[in-house]
Amino acid sequence: MSYRKLFIASNALMLAAFVWAFAKDFAAPWRPYQKKYYEMSADVLEKKAAAEKDAKKAADLRAEAKKMRRSPMEIKQIIAGDLGRFDRCVTCHVGMDEYTNPSLVNDFKENPYKSHPKVDAALVKAHPFTKFGCTSCHSGQGLATTVEGAHGWVKHWEKPMLKGASIQGSCVKCHGNFETLKGAEIAAQGKKVFNKHGCQGCHAINGVGGVISVDLGDIADKPFERIAGYNFKKVRIDGKELPNEHHDSHWNIQNWILAHLVNDPAAVTPNDPFAHYNAEPIPPSGMPDYTKEISRADADAVVAYLSGMTKEEVIPYRYHVPGPAPRQTALSGKDVYAKYGCQGCHGLDAKQGRRRFNAAGEGQKEYDEKMPEAEQFEQMNLGIEPTLPNLVGTYTHEELVKKIANGVPATEAKKWSPKGPMPMVYMPAWKDKISKSELDALATWLKSIAKKDDSGF
Amino acid sequence: MPTLDLETIKKEIIDSQLWRSVFRGGVWKDTPRDRAGHIIGNVWLHLHPVKVRPRALEWAYTWGMGGISFALYLILTLTGVALMFYYRPTIGLAYRDIKDLEFAVTLGMFLRNAHRWAAQAMVVAVIAHMVRVFLTGAYKKPREFNWGIGVLLLTLTLFLSFTGYLLPWDQLAIWAVTVGTNMAGATPVLGNEGPLGSLVGMRINNDVRFTLLGGTMVGENTLLRFYVMHCVAVPLVVGILLILHFWRIRKDSFSAAPYQANEEKMDVWPHLVKREYIGAAATTLFIMVWSILQNAPLEAIANPNVTTNPSKAPWYFVGLQELLVYFDPWIAGVVMPGLIIVGLIAIPYIDTNPKGVGYYAWKERPFANTLFMLGVVMWFALIYIGYACRGPNYAWYWPWESWYMNKPAPPPTWSVFGPKGVGAYSMLIGIPLMGAIATAWMLLPKLIQKELDGKKTMGAFLGLLALWAAAGMAMGKMNAIQGGYLLFLVGSSFYFGFVLPQRHIRTLDWPRYLVTMVLVVSTMSVLLKMCANLAFNIKYVLTIPSISMNI
Repeated sequence: MSYRKLFIASNALMLAAFVWAFAKDFAAPWRPYQKKYYEMSADVLEKKAAAEKDAKKAADLRAEAKKMRRSPMEIKQIIAGDLGRFDRCVTCHVGMDEYTNPSLVNDFKENPYKSHPKVDAALVKAHPFTKFGCTSCHSGQGLATTVEGAHGWVKHWEKPMLKGASIQGSCVKCHGNFETLKGAEIAAQGKKVFNKHGCQGCHAINGVGGVISVDLGDIADKPFERIAGYNFKKVRIDGKELPNEHHDSHWNIQNWILAHLVNDPAAVTPNDPFAHYNAEPIPPSGMPDYTKEISRADADAVVAYLSGMTKEEVIPYRYHVPGPAPRQTALSGKDVYAKYGCQGCHGLDAKQGRRRFNAAGEGQKEYDEKMPEAEQFEQMNLGIEPTLPNLVGTYTHEELVKKIANGVPATEAKKWSPKGPMPMVYMPAWKDKISKSELDALATWLKSIAKKDDSGF
Repeated sequence: MPTLDLETIKKEIIDSQLWRSVFRGGVWKDTPRDRAGHIIGNVWLHLHPVKVRPRALEWAYTWGMGGISFALYLILTLTGVALMFYYRPTIGLAYRDIKDLEFAVTLGMFLRNAHRWAAQAMVVAVIAHMVRVFLTGAYKKPREFNWGIGVLLLTLTLFLSFTGYLLPWDQLAIWAVTVGTNMAGATPVLGNEGPLGSLVGMRINNDVRFTLLGGTMVGENTLLRFYVMHCVAVPLVVGILLILHFWRIRKDSFSAAPYQANEEKMDVWPHLVKREYIGAAATTLFIMVWSILQNAPLEAIANPNVTTNPSKAPWYFVGLQELLVYFDPWIAGVVMPGLIIVGLIAIPYIDTNPKGVGYYAWKERPFANTLFMLGVVMWFALIYIGYACRGPNYAWYWPWESWYMNKPAPPPTWSVFGPKGVGAYSMLIGIPLMGAIATAWMLLPKLIQKELDGKKTMGAFLGLLALWAAAGMAMGKMNAIQGGYLLFLVGSSFYFGFVLPQRHIRTLDWPRYLVTMVLVVSTMSVLLKMCANLAFNIKYVLTIPSISMNI
């Protein structure tokens, strides 16, 4: 080929590539949605005009329809500067844009055309879109203008749009009073379940609660990089594996929390109890198996509640609604037990200690080095936390108070397999968390439930 | 009615005061004078000579790599300036501005892709240009200085690309730059973690890494510094060096090829200019299509509290990062790259071989070509390993293996000479012993005056290694894989580091010989240390913890 032909061809191809790039840019995925919205609205207006008897009104409606049909295609956005939101959701969800659809109501049934449900409800009225944006409540990627991108169903966007009841977590972000709030019932139920089953015994929330595991005050911000060993692969929800893609929309923090309640957490986070991959053995998750104790609905409620546990967003102080003042009434010993989450390890009403991996206890076989690993694992899994009624009888009241106040360090645990890992859970020192009078009440109650043998002791 | 005579109209326009005031020269008659005038009368084309030797025009000689590198530099300047209109270098805005480019700016994604891909392509093109110049011996007298400028331009190209890496302010950016800049903290004397650094008072907040980052970790100041370096400071220096580079190409003549009989020079206009245009157009087209088809990566917003696992440097530095497996950062991140740059600049001054100038000549320059290509292959092999074969915790994962699979922790390592090494006074033995081995290795090839038979020497050495491996296996202290490493890596370093120099550069004068051997032995030390680490789990050969000196 001669250079003259090459010259012409390369110039033509460069021009073609530029046109291609521009065409690709012009064919942005939001355009068809916006166009269709304008057309549907114009159709509605024209239908109204046809039914209208007053000629002048009909002409007005027709003019409005014409204007609607000719609306320029544009990226629309809500700038909620206070909350750091720049939400372009209304580019496709035009029915929710106050400038195009001032009444915020329409008759369309399908997304993205339909208007926001319940616009007349106090909930929506109290949170005007222009001030709160969309993602403040719904999460997702407000800046994006593609379907997958905007809903956050893409890699590297770790807060996809909240589904179902978990959106109530967004109430918890600002409303200290969410437990009495209309519309946040599921999140409120979640908090109840959380505290009833003793989660707070190990997981503090913003410093209130036990110290054994992570503080959940910012659990909704947990980066996926921190989810050890990519354990999403081991999550089963309703018995099913999550779709197999890293950072897929199903790989989100809501499913990660749910996974701890509908699976045995030890199966989700098995770690390395036989030191196959590490220098020292690491026990599986120390969290008890709640699958039989917490129903699926309650598990979802806990997820909704914890979805609001975020530190990341800069929510100005004036957006916060204070919670109720703490009650000052004296609690009974049994209530103290429940309040501080003792049931997280020692069981509901102290009836039965929960699992403590590789702790030596009753019902286990003699340790034998030659035992196959699967069997060893089974035996280690039989280790439990102390079942208090069997135990407290041997302590005096003062000894009991001292024991709870000072705790028992993990190093004092009696291991079943001396080569196995140190048990994950231990008795923390409660003296800075539980007041003196509460401790007394607790010890008294514990003494009262101590199992008595036939002789009455 | 007057007839429409196109020729007359054309002449009228060209002879008009307006036309003549803008364009020098009259009607184009395609005479030699016209062609020369086109080059001389145009400020942009004036960097060319009027005529070049035909050899300089052959595609198969230059592959157009220098011109393509410059075309990419121009594309990067254009797209870069366009991107500057949308980008604000603060940690609150940078990431959002990139998202805006992606989702809201007309052609924003295309621009960003073009800038990103052109930057990657430029790194490749500049390296290819260097390899070509080396293989055709075009760095030899009188072009030594221009080769040095070229090496600096290569370094600056990498640095430009590296500074640009941070600007999107995502996880990829911040951790790649963290890996890269942490190596600076290991600079001997000037870095707080480098050998002797603590002796001269280097701390985390006053060393060379601090200067680079504007802080003790990658943050707001780093972003601003990298932005200014990326958009102003470094391009300015590159521009100055480019002018120098081009000027010397012209002054030193366009082709180093030996003169042939009846060789007649050809006009640059149109013969060179049309080739340059096609090269640049093809490059532009390639970048455009690539940018339409593939989007530049953008990960989650940078979070200094969440380390990605694994964290990798930009791909062209991953080779150095891979060296971190075998060496401490001061060697892998500072000494090695320093030696590469200094060694490359030194090449024209130590290569006295008069043959092979201006054409591909493997047989006439066996030593230079073999060692240089060995270096290039090692550089890219290390990049491949680091980029494709390293997974979480920087453990070895084959490209087809899932990163969800757990890998056992690496076996414990040990050090040969050091506080816990061999013998009671191991450092006292180790330092003189290593010095003696290095000195002997450097001197022996020249001291053995007679040329050794390559095959016999190699055979004898491999036989000894095989004997050692067999003995080790028989005693149960070595397995077949360790034996394989031993034979391959130690064998290669003996061949490239001893047999080849003995046969080819024995007759070089002492200063040139010694400089060459320092470069050769340092290259081989990489292979040897890889062998020590992979086969025998040796962390350091020599370690002096008190001054952070580990080899």
